[in-house]
This record gives sequence, structure tokens and C-alpha cells, in this order.
Amino acid sequence: MRRFRKLALAAAGGLMAAVLAACGSGTTSAAGPSGTLTISNESGGLWQCSFNPFNSSANFLSVGNVYEPLVFVNALQNDQTTPWLATKWDWSNGNKTLTFTIRSGVKWNDGQAMGAADVAFTYNLLKKNAALDLNSVWSVLDSVAQQGTDQVVFNFKAPAVPYFFYIADQIAIVPQHVWSTIADPVHYTDAKPVATGAYEVNPCTPQNITFTANKNYWQPGLPKVAKVLYPAFTSNDPANNYLATGQAQWGSQFIPNIDAFYAKKSPDHHYWFPPIAQVSLFPNEKVAPLNDPVVRKALALAIDRNKASSVGEYGYEPAGNQMGIVTPTFQSWVDPAAQSAAASFNYNPTKASSMLEAAGYHKGSDGIYVSPAGKRLSFHVINQGGYSDWVATMQVVIQGAKAAGIEIIPDNLSANDYNDKLFNGNFDLAYYAETGGPAPYYELRQWLYSANTAPIGQQASTNFERYSDPQTDSLLDQYGATADPAAQKQIIAKLEQVMLTQVPVIPVTESVDWYQYDTSHFTGWPTPQNQYALPAAFQIPDMGQVLLHLSPK
Amino acid sequence: MRYLIRRLGFFVLTLWAALTINFLIPRLMPGSPATAILARFHGRLTPTALHAIEASLGINTNQGIASQYVQYIGNTVTLNFGDSVQSFQPVAKIVAQAIPWTLALVGITTIVAFILGTGIGAIAAWKRGGKLDSILPPVFVVGTGLPYFWVGMILIILFAEINPWLPVALGIDPGIDVAFNWPAISNMLQHAILPAGALLITSIGTWVLTMRNTMVTTLAEDYIRMARAKGLPNRRIMVDYAARNSILPNLTGFAMSLGFVVSGAVLVEDVFNYPGVGFMLVQAVQNEDFPLMQCLFLLITVAVLVAVLLADIATALLDPRTRTAR
Repeated sequence: MRRFRKLALAAAGGLMAAVLAACGSGTTSAAGPSGTLTISNESGGLWQCSFNPFNSSANFLSVGNVYEPLVFVNALQNDQTTPWLATKWDWSNGNKTLTFTIRSGVKWNDGQAMGAADVAFTYNLLKKNAALDLNSVWSVLDSVAQQGTDQVVFNFKAPAVPYFFYIADQIAIVPQHVWSTIADPVHYTDAKPVATGAYEVNPCTPQNITFTANKNYWQPGLPKVAKVLYPAFTSNDPANNYLATGQAQWGSQFIPNIDAFYAKKSPDHHYWFPPIAQVSLFPNEKVAPLNDPVVRKALALAIDRNKASSVGEYGYEPAGNQMGIVTPTFQSWVDPAAQSAAASFNYNPTKASSMLEAAGYHKGSDGIYVSPAGKRLSFHVINQGGYSDWVATMQVVIQGAKAAGIEIIPDNLSANDYNDKLFNGNFDLAYYAETGGPAPYYELRQWLYSANTAPIGQQASTNFERYSDPQTDSLLDQYGATADPAAQKQIIAKLEQVMLTQVPVIPVTESVDWYQYDTSHFTGWPTPQNQYALPAAFQIPDMGQVLLHLSPK
Repeated sequence: MRYLIRRLGFFVLTLWAALTINFLIPRLMPGSPATAILARFHGRLTPTALHAIEASLGINTNQGIASQYVQYIGNTVTLNFGDSVQSFQPVAKIVAQAIPWTLALVGITTIVAFILGTGIGAIAAWKRGGKLDSILPPVFVVGTGLPYFWVGMILIILFAEINPWLPVALGIDPGIDVAFNWPAISNMLQHAILPAGALLITSIGTWVLTMRNTMVTTLAEDYIRMARAKGLPNRRIMVDYAARNSILPNLTGFAMSLGFVVSGAVLVEDVFNYPGVGFMLVQAVQNEDFPLMQCLFLLITVAVLVAVLLADIATALLDPRTRTAR
């Protein structure tokens, strides 16, 4: 999961012997779930056996498979929705009211019925305990209340259509009869979750979590896989070995030289890395002369994105583009005008130099440009020292910038130090990736919305480059107020122009969802042809959807 | 007796110093537990939610550093370490789950390495110049020079990948529950063979070399010659005269390494994905999990200090000179 990467031993060796245990070939004679699936997802530590769906370090283990949200929103297929615990939903009152109809006949795994009261309770629990509100939905919500027997009404302070994703897809519904008795839900471990999902925890140890099928699951005939094992992998090598030897069937991390190490070992071994967000250079708007758009544009021109992708990222992560749109995932959002303008940002250090000279910058004796105010174009870039691919990519960036007469000095920091400097704005340039969302809007808002930022020295939640532009803010607000896809596309086209003319952020590569899958014992995996969910095992709640689609051979 | 009291006084003083450093160091690190959480959930939290999280973690509560320190010492003395900021489980419980694995693997391997290494060293010195002496010590010294993770990787390639005889990772197969029955125990033993082998290969040489060299010096002493002259049996000279006097440096080293067993072997746990406290410590540092970090550091410090104290006592018993000195 984490991209903590080391030089893995690319050990060849035709093994795959019959010794391999626990693959559980499914004997699908009778009805009912069968087979054992093993997940290999490097999590960086041993399990602490907490399944609290509102704990940011534990919820990737329980949201989707154990706890379920109202609606599944597919980030790979343009926000496409699938009803989950809600059957219907409607915006009304000028997109300020959202009404969900809650599914009937769903039971918690302790036998009690799930209903609208539980849903209303869950959201009000987040209101009461702000530390549980990991998506800050109460920054836009005004009230949540049950209406009639099976409806829940969400009232917003202002139109906030994009928050549908956070509210309906990212928040798991918890049982009122259990959680109302918990004195401190923030510190609640939740070792034995009472939930509606297809799987139950049974048991959890620091080394392994066993999820077993919920026999009374509300979707008839599901899940088809009886047991899911989730061993705790503290680093990539053993996790990759488990995949290569077929001991695990579902992988979610970086594998160096993946064709030789994994794909060639068996015709059933496959991988797919769909891009979901962008890894970008964030120029600090409060640092002169980075506050000059000309310098940022020259920097954008001086980055060889294709080389960054092939050299830094082994070609696994595609090159980014200056529009700020992840392609091909969000290709339908790309405005044709922006597409051609983005091409003018192809690597061209000579053009970058002449652009700087036209703006009054002159070259010093060391080949580095000096601003009209006398400042050398020499910047430190903070980077995650533990991500070897990011460090390698930065070398490509540095070479390109040097060719254009801009000096970049890398500061490869420990995660704590890096985060501290990033959040507080103590950097010239930062190399960083946001989480994005199911449409380009989410990442653009994380980058550019001025309400997300903070003065230098105070922690910003996003927008670490401290960009602030009233027009951009108003575009983002307009997007939030409309549910009309055509209008949304027009707004995104304008935001693409902001990215191209202001260059507040410089995308370098696209970050991907790491995913390997083994078809020898299970079918129904997400594939490039069938992109029904984000495929990595750490994606919530998508991993629950994947488990519901899998069946033993 | 005075000697022991002096050692005890030293023990208490060191413990206090260690506790204080343990309190200060995490607070000097950049960032905070809330920053670590923000990093996990970047892009979604508003600053309001961040403050709520900070409050729930009990940090940035405007409590003065002095009162925090007093509270910390009080909690430590009463063994109340608080809850982990990652899972909100009691730290003591989390550590208790991991420590048996570390003690079993690293503890037993350390004892075996010490006994084997000291024995081989003693015999090699006794028969110095012989076949044993010219082959074993150099081989073991080369083993000591090899990086642990490299030996571990080679063992994995040889015995888990090319020849899939042994498991590549974890302390027990994911499908098997930890229990006191033969299938579980044999599975755990299989998982322990490679990490223990790698630990032995890389650690035994130190014991062999120290023991051999000290013993060679001791064998040149007059009292050894005297013993020979008296016509004492060789076995008695080797064990009671030479080895007893030569083992002192090794014993101190052994006590130290027993103390460090508690800290786990981070590299073992990393290469073999073996459960234990070593990796837990790394994880705690990465997530700025102060309560977990403090508990682990304290455990390590106390274990080392107690081991050193025991070594002092053992030295006093073995060597009368240390009792009367000054």
C-alpha cells in the first residue's frame, strides 16, 4: 500500500511447486461460498485489530467488506453509481437537499434490522465527534434527519453536489444500537464489528486477519468466496514473494521488474495500474520569484515528463499533463482547446530560457538565470526520501531545469519531516501527490481552493502551494452548485485554462492504483476491459465491491 | 555488598536519565501524530477536523511541558502507558502480543549463539594452531562481516524460492491459528528456521573470536603453568582455570545482547516479515505514536539496564577481584 520501496531482490526461480498451501482451490459443487483468497498488500506494520470505520489508520480494513456505505461511486467510470445500502437518492431545493431512500430487509450481523434511523445516527455521530469526520462532511452539512420510515434527508449550508462522493461512498453506516452505547467512539477499537457487509472478522491476530463470509448477507448468493486471509506484510519483498509464488492472489503494491518477477511466472498472473491522481511539483506561491507565473511556466516547460515516467517510474506511472486532468481515466473531461495548449508544454528547455529572457531574466555566469530583482533561480525541492521512484524522478526534473537555466536542489526527507514542512508551507518546491477523487474536480479543488490553504507556518489541509485566486474559487463553487454534467464539464474546461495560464501546480507523472491479480483460482477480477471498481485492496469501499464480484473457479 | 549497592545506585540513576530522554526525544521530532494522520487523509480534512483529532489524541492541549513530564513519570511508574494513537488500543496489550515472538526467536538464538560461540572459542584456543582453530574462527569471522539482510535474502533465495522447502515470510501461515498443538508449533518452527539461521551465521563469530583471544592470553598466565605443573587434568585446567577467567568479557557482552533482545531485530523482522517489537518500534516512530514509542523505548532501556546489572552480579561471583576493588 505504502510506496516505501527498496531494491527488491529480483530473484528468478521457477517455483510454483505444488507445495504452495492455502490457495484453496474452490470445490464449487454445492451452493454457498467456498475457497480461500489471500490478499498481499504491504501495509507497513502488524495488524492492531482495530476495525473502527472512522479511524484513518484502520478503516481500509473494514469499509466496503465489513461496513457498507450508502452508494458505490466508481472513480474509473465517471462517477457511475451503484446503490448499496441506499436504493434511491435525489437532489432538491436547488441542490441544497439530498434525500436517500434506505434499503429495507438489510440486517446487521447480530440479527437486528438496519434502517434509516441507523443512517441518520451515523452522520450525527460524526457531527458530535468531529474527529470521526474524516471527510469533513460537516463543513458543508447543516442537518441530517430521518424522514418517514425509510428516508434520510441531508440539508446543506450551500449547494455541495460533489460532496455526494464523500457522504454516500466514503462513510460507512454503523448500527445505532451498538454505537449509541459507546462512550468514546473516537477511541473505540471495534475488534468485533457489528456491520451489514459480506464479511465478518473471525479472527484477527497481529499477523493475519481472517474474514469469513457473512452467511446472512442481504444480497442473495453473495459473497461467493468463503474466506479472505489478509496477512500483515511489513515490507514489499515478502509481500511480492507471496504473489510470485501464488500464495496470495490479490496484490496491491509496487513490484520492481514486474514482468520477470511476477507476470512471467504464470499465465494466470496479471497486473493493471490505472492512473487516479497526479504527482506534481508544487511551487510555493509565497516564495519569490516562484510567485511569477513566467518562472512557473518555464519550469513546466523544462520537465521531460516522458523521461520522468520511463526513468523514474519504470514506465508504470504515465506522464502527467499541464491541464491537471488524469488521462486516460478522465479523458472525457479534457477540453479540446486545453489539449492543444497542453501540448505547448512539451519538454523544451530552449523555449523555457527564451521565455525567461523575454520577461527580463538574465543568465548569470554560472548558467543560472537571475530575476530582475536580483534573485537567482535556485530552489530547494522537498521530497519523500523513502520513495525511491520519486527520488529518481526528481533527478530527471533537476536535469531538465538545469538545461533551462534553473537550479533545483533536492531535499530528500523522512516522512515526518517532509509532512511537517509541506503542511506548514516551509519549502520552495514540493514534490507531492493528492488523493484525487472520482472526477477531476476533486484533485483540482484540493490543489487550488483557497479555503483549504493556510498562512505560511500554519498547517494547510491541502493547497500547500498557497495558491489563492478569487476567480478560481468561484469556478470551484459553481461546480459544487450544479448537478448538470454539461455545466460541470464547462467549468472544468475553465479550470484547465487556469492550470495552463497560471501554472499553480506542475503535474509530472500520474500516480496509479497498484494491482496484481491471479486468475488461477478466482474469476471476476476488475480488468482494463471491466473497470467496475478501483482495483487495489487498500481502496475503500471499492475493495468490498471487488470481493462481491469474485468467485472461485 | 558495597559493590552491589554502588551498582544499584548507578542503575537507578541511569534509569532516570533514560526515562527523561525517552520523554524528550519524541517531542523533539518534527511533526506530530496529527500530522501523520493528516498525511494519511490529506485532501479531505479541514483544519477544524484536524484540531478535533489533535484534541482527541490529547496533544496540543496547552499543557505545560513540566506538568506533562510529571504526569509521564507517574504513568510510567504505575505502568500505565496509555493507548496507541493508531488503533486506540492499550499500548501494553499491543506490545504483549508482539514480544513473545521476539523473545522466542531472538532470545533463543542469542543464547544458542553465545553457548556455541563461547564453546568453540574455548576449544579453538585450547587447541590453538590445530585444525579446528584454523578453520572455524576465520569462517565465523567472515559470517560476522556479512550484512544480516544480505544473508537473509540469500537464505530466502536458496531455501524458500529455488528450493521451496521453507516459508518466505511471517511467523506462522495465515490460515493457522497460534495454539499449543503440534501443527501450529511445527509451522512456527518452520518459519523460525531461516531467520534464526541468518542470525546465528552473523552473530556467532563475535563470541568465538572474543572467547578465543581472551583465552589465548589467559593460557599464557603463570597460574595455568602452575596448574599444569601440579598435574591437574587437562579438562579441569581448560574449564575451571582458563575458561572461567576468560569468559568475563563475553559474559558482559552476553548480558548486553540479552537486554537488546527485547528491542527485537528490526532487520530480521523486515527481511522475513517476522512479527515482533522491532518493526513495531519503526512503525510507532513513523506514525509518531508517542505512547507506543515510549513504552517500547522504556522496555528496551530497562531490559538492557537489568541485564547489565545481572552481568555485574555474575562477574562479581565469578571474579573475586571485582568485589574487593577500591
